[in-house]
Amino acid sequence: MQVADQVLNVENLSIDIPLSGDILHAVDGISISVNKGETLCIVGESGCGKSLTSLAIMDLLPQKAVRTVDKLELNGSSILNYSDRQMSDVRGSKIGMIFQEPMTSLNPSFTVENQMVETLARHRNIRGKEAKKLAVQMLEKVGITPAKQRLKQYPHQLSGGLRQRVMIAMTLLCEPELIIADEPTTALDVTIQAQILELLTRLQADFNTGLILITHDLGVVAKSADRVAVMYAGQIVEEGSVYEIFDNPSHPYTRGLLSCIPVPGKIKRGEHLGSIPGMVPSLIGEFTECRFAGRWGDTLGKEEENIAHLTPIEGVDYAFLVHGTTDHVVRFCCNSCLKKSKSKISKGVN
Amino acid sequence: MAEVMIDAKNIVKDFKISKGLFRGKETLRAVDGVSLQVLRGEILAIVGESGCGKTTLAKILLGLLQQDSGTVELCGSKIEQIPRLELAKMVQPIFQDPYSSLNPRKSIGSIITLPMRVQGEKNSDVWMKKALQTMDLVGLPARMFDQYPNQLSGGQRQRVAIARALINSPKIVICDEPTSALDVSVQSQILNLLNDLREELNLTYVIISHNLAVVEHMATQVAVMYFGEKVEEAETDQLFSNPQHSYTKTLLNSILSPDPRQRNKKN
Repeated sequence: MQVADQVLNVENLSIDIPLSGDILHAVDGISISVNKGETLCIVGESGCGKSLTSLAIMDLLPQKAVRTVDKLELNGSSILNYSDRQMSDVRGSKIGMIFQEPMTSLNPSFTVENQMVETLARHRNIRGKEAKKLAVQMLEKVGITPAKQRLKQYPHQLSGGLRQRVMIAMTLLCEPELIIADEPTTALDVTIQAQILELLTRLQADFNTGLILITHDLGVVAKSADRVAVMYAGQIVEEGSVYEIFDNPSHPYTRGLLSCIPVPGKIKRGEHLGSIPGMVPSLIGEFTECRFAGRWGDTLGKEEENIAHLTPIEGVDYAFLVHGTTDHVVRFCCNSCLKKSKSKISKGVN
Repeated sequence: MAEVMIDAKNIVKDFKISKGLFRGKETLRAVDGVSLQVLRGEILAIVGESGCGKTTLAKILLGLLQQDSGTVELCGSKIEQIPRLELAKMVQPIFQDPYSSLNPRKSIGSIITLPMRVQGEKNSDVWMKKALQTMDLVGLPARMFDQYPNQLSGGQRQRVAIARALINSPKIVICDEPTSALDVSVQSQILNLLNDLREELNLTYVIISHNLAVVEHMATQVAVMYFGEKVEEAETDQLFSNPQHSYTKTLLNSILSPDPRQRNKKN
């Protein structure tokens, strides 16, 4: 892995939200990196800090939230101490963002043309005919025809899939180095979802963009990801290449998630699916017990046929390499959930 | 042969849509000649894209909308001739979003017992007892009886909605996207619960869903709708292995397999 190819590098990011008398630790010391042309999927249940992580990268957190981070680098240069003005240059031009609901992220009172041309004027100083030409080209690239007529339309005249395409076209106008897509297909029909994912992957390869895809749909992950980070209660519990995660899930939570989805052929009709009892714990205050307390049900801790071999990572508590590859890291929150995972831990190997 | 629970023939439903001030009205045919038959104990899934008339059809089966033509028979009698209260005992809905389907100002106990009170049960001991039984059945702890919806998680709320639907022991339950607002971990709990309840209470389900993995896991029979028409209906295995209509094929091609090695095989 060459550092030169790295688009984004975040080290030890924490987000605290002060409440009256207590602190909500929304994100707790996570590190992620994305390379050029790579797709990193962040998965997890609602309320585990996925979306706040993406907002923190863009410096768009709610006012009260406190972000602490050791390193925040875009293309090798730190954007940690950027002023608001500098950051707003970065947003849109270097980091693009695609949200879940395209109706709320497009301005309903302006035409598609207005919004696209404005983006170009703001970030690339391109105006007039040339801007319009670029906008038409980009709409055609994302598969919107006839592009010229569509430019004159307002968001409410477009269907959900078309709106999301317009969002993607707008994001790509400034040729960003990194795109953060937060549940980009959740609001769409399955047929449209497949088209949009296909489109994102194709454009990403064309432009060699890094992509962070936030989703809770493991089907989307299997379809698009190069690497996967599984988040739980503000931490990344397992990270690795998509094949490693699906073939060798080593954290009991990842296994639990994978057992929850009905897979044709693997589970008979009407048979019980795996499930994770309880819910994501409250992140207010400090943890006194295991983050997975109350969630060890039938699934978590069961089904251990392929026992993972873990190698401890020095200097980080309860963090391990799976099968000795740096490509696959698993992190437990405490001794008790480590014991429950029933993995084999080798000692004295670096 | 098993008892026919739902027998719908040639249902048509039009909506009048205003084209604008002074411009008169336009007719939108939401459901166009759909016929369905569901036998006791079956699970019929209705799939299709948004706006294809799935929910309108569900509302007609629930007696919440009147069809413009065609007939609906539930358990052998015409839906128009079943008194409202009787109909509510026979068929009950479970909706998509448990955040908007529960009244935030009523306690869980009063939400669950409302159908009994509507049916004229006066004795509070009776409905209290029945409510606690039903809560136990759907896996809600009894202490939640006095709590309010905002104190519950999404999965628990959906269980409340299920308890409310089941308290008068209906024969048919119509689930409109029962899990699409929930996390996968919670979705599997609710699907397991629906499956258990079906066996225990001998229920018949109509499930509306756009999640084809869920449909394949749950349904015995699948009907595909496209622009208001039923374009295909078959047994689940048959439909998934040998789709006939081109829209069904498109739909099946867009399933995202939870296996990264499958990703390049399709499309």
